[in-house]
Formats: sequence, structure tokens, C-alpha cells
Amino acid sequence: MAQVMKGVRVLEVAQFTFVPAAGAILADWGADVIKIEHPVRGDTQRGFIKLGGIETDPNRCPFVEHPNRGKRSVGVDISTPEGMEVIYELAKTADVFLTNYLPNQRQKMKFDIEHIRAVNPNIIYARGSAFGDKGPDRDVGGFDGTAFWNRGGLADAFSPKELGGPISQGVPAFGDSIGGMNIAGGIAAALFHRAQTGEATELDVSLLSTAWWAAGTSIDMGIETNQIMGNRMPQSGGNPGNPLMGNYYCADGGVINMCTLTPGPHIKSFFQHIGKPELADDERFSEVKALMQNWEAASEIIVAAFAEKDFKYWREHLKTYSGQWAPVQSLLDIATDEQALANDMLFEVESASGGDPIKLVRGPVQFNHEPVKTERAPLASEHTELVLMELGMEWDKIEELKEKGAIA
Amino acid sequence: MKPGTKLKSTVCNTEVMVIKGSGLVVECGGAPMTAEGAADKGAINPDFAGGTLMGKRYVNEEGTVELLCVKAGEGALAIDGKVLPTKDAKPLPSSD
Repeated sequence: MAQVMKGVRVLEVAQFTFVPAAGAILADWGADVIKIEHPVRGDTQRGFIKLGGIETDPNRCPFVEHPNRGKRSVGVDISTPEGMEVIYELAKTADVFLTNYLPNQRQKMKFDIEHIRAVNPNIIYARGSAFGDKGPDRDVGGFDGTAFWNRGGLADAFSPKELGGPISQGVPAFGDSIGGMNIAGGIAAALFHRAQTGEATELDVSLLSTAWWAAGTSIDMGIETNQIMGNRMPQSGGNPGNPLMGNYYCADGGVINMCTLTPGPHIKSFFQHIGKPELADDERFSEVKALMQNWEAASEIIVAAFAEKDFKYWREHLKTYSGQWAPVQSLLDIATDEQALANDMLFEVESASGGDPIKLVRGPVQFNHEPVKTERAPLASEHTELVLMELGMEWDKIEELKEKGAIA
Repeated sequence: MKPGTKLKSTVCNTEVMVIKGSGLVVECGGAPMTAEGAADKGAINPDFAGGTLMGKRYVNEEGTVELLCVKAGEGALAIDGKVLPTKDAKPLPSSD
């Protein structure tokens, strides 16, 4: 893929998925991303012994690869003054400083914007936080489960009231991965602005702002109308007012999602495809207003029609339908979806511990129709000496810093 | 061996950077490593054929030696016939 960020150096002092994912996207795009990790523990992300209820293998960690592929890792204890000197040396050579540390930690350890700008006035300073860098909760940490999913309003919106409680996020690092892309986009814009005007900006993306943006249509509509949209309980049948919207269950339990928002132009094609061409001439359904008014009667007929054939049949058969629809797939089904694969959604990196390559999802942006080419995620502190020597640091100095425990 | 220098295997493609330790003979695939390596590579001793992995750090039990593998190969690293284990991060256990 075109290395649109070639020549850009990012210094990342961050952990988990949200903010490191921004570094991973920039690395996919060709940036030189130096990831700072604790000399002994590494990124806390490396410590997951269970994720989404699934036991992890310490030698094969897709959840470390996803937000860290293509980077180099340097082990620095940022809580020591000597370690912070190393950060400053690296910051002098960087275009972007990327962090998710809390304001009080940035102040205490002296890598807040004024400290980093003191050594490099032109650096773009990018912060990822739970709740934003202003306001009473700027010093409160969080994860996507808290800031994005629950406080962000999504858990409530996704959960039908009849369930009696909110569902959980269900997809690990879901808000983190969306948020990381938001940061990467902000950094790209900041780099463009700096190239155009010479001005270096600071930027903030929070998990809360990520949820707000993702749910923006519903929030704005909610404020405007004082009503909030929510999910209905799962069922086979059309949405009130539009029977060409809604999930329909197949004979074998598979589900087809009909999503024809503007049903008028598709009435004929739709009824043909469900084997009831005569209904396109039925005055209850033949014209869009009548169809919307008689949505219940239509829904009943469509439910029965879908229940006659299996998922595989509908999936194939609906390909020629003129309106919008989708098969309901699992996240494992999607890994073999020919359309996704035709768009290079998966790529491989070698496994640091040997064995088969690890398959990874690419970022959402593709340049020049080309697949991502990058390296595996670094091991913790894998590149400490190599990066510091590249920086011009003498071996004696490296040894001295090691003895003090400032680097590893 | 000396910190900051590189050693090459004489029996496979392995190359390491010496991070820590001096005055010891590091073996790879059963044969001593040298600064130059070997143009004609010898045979790997099957007892030392576990291989090396790029980016991994290999240490001795005493903690006096650390080698960073910068090029992988089929031989295993050893000192005095004792295979060197890898040094791994010790992350704090987490679960969601």
C-alpha cells in the first residue's frame, strides 16, 4: 500500500488498544512508530490472560498485533528522570507525540505538552483520553466499556427495554478501534496543517467523543425531538411503517436483514424475489404509501415466505434483488466473506514465536487499491538498543541507563 | 564477545547483538559464534537445533548474559553446552 506517512516519526507513550491503534494505523500507512513500553512489564495489553471470555496464548497474541503491528518497541521506565531524558531525546526526532496517560501522570513525569514542546516546538501533541482533556473528569481514566459503551449511551440504545438491562459491548476493543482511527485521522489533518502553515497543533480524541460522534444522528435527533431511538426485541418481521426494513428468519434459523429504506422503487423486485409477484399488484402493497400503511399485513406474508427456505437459499437468491439487504453474519463468518477478502481486509504477519503467520484485519482506509504490507508487532523492548544507537547514543551510555533501570 | 557487538553463527543464519556479558564463548547450533561467521557453514549439532527467533532476547540463568537475536536461524544458542532460554516481559495479568 502507498506509504503516505513515510518520513513521519511518531513517538507513542501509550497502552492498551485505543491510542496504540492510532499508532498502528499510522504504521500501516508508512510512519516510523516508536512505542515506549515499561522495561519489565511491557504494555499492559500484553497481560490479557482472557479476552472476550476466550483464553489467550502468550506466544500468539492477535490482540497485541492489532494495535501494535509495524512498530518498534523501546523499553523505558518513564517514572525515572533518566528514562524521561531518553523520551526527550526521542521526542526531538519525532513529528508526533501520541499518549493516553492521564493529565496528572503527564505532569508528574513531565511529558505533558509544555515539556515535550520545550524540546521540540514543532511536534504535534495527540492525546487520547476516556472523557476529554477539559472538564471535571479530565483526570478520570476509562476503557471503551466504560466511556464509550456505557457512559457514551450506546449500551442503553442497543438494549431493548424488555431485556430488563443493558447488554455489554460484546466486542473487545470495539470503541477503542474506532477511536484509534479517529486519532489517526486527526493526526493526518494536523500533519497537513503543519506542512501548509508551519503551525503545530495539539489534538484530543476521547472514547466519549468517539461514542458521541458514532451515535451523533440519534443524539441530535433525540435532543431535537426529545425522544430517543432504541432497539426492539429481536423478532422475525418488518419495522413499524416499513415492511422492507427488519430481520426475517429463514427455515434453518439463519437471518436475513432487509434494509430498504426507500421501498417504493423496489416493491416489484421484492415481491418477485420472495415468490409472491402477484402482491406487487395488490392495492394494499403496490404503491409506497399503501405499503407503509399496511406494513403489518405485508410483514406477516414476508415472515411466512422467508420461513419456507433456508439461509443459503436466500443469500444466493436475493443477489438479484434491486433493494438493500444483508445476510446476518458472525465475526467468524466474515473472515471467509469473499467480498471482504477481495478488498484485502485480511493480511498476515509472521509470529514472533514461530509457527503459522497471524491473520490481521487491516485498517478501514485503503490507498491505491493495494493491500497492507507491514511487520509483526514488536516484542516488549525489542528495539531498545537498536533505536538508541540509531539516535547516536554511545554504548556506555546505554549500559549506564540499563544499570539504573531507566531502560531495558 | 563484548556488549554492543554482533556475533554470527558458523552453522546457520543466526546473528545476535551482545547486550550484556563479556569474555564468554557463545555457541550456536553447537559451534562457537564469531564476529565474521563462516562462508562455508558447518553442520548443526542435532542437540542444539531448536532455532532462534528474531527479536527475542536470550539470557543465561545467572543473568550475566543477554543476546538480542537480529537474524533468525536453525541453531540454538548456548554457553558451555547449556541452551539459553528467552527473556520475556512479565505483564500484569488482565482479563475483561
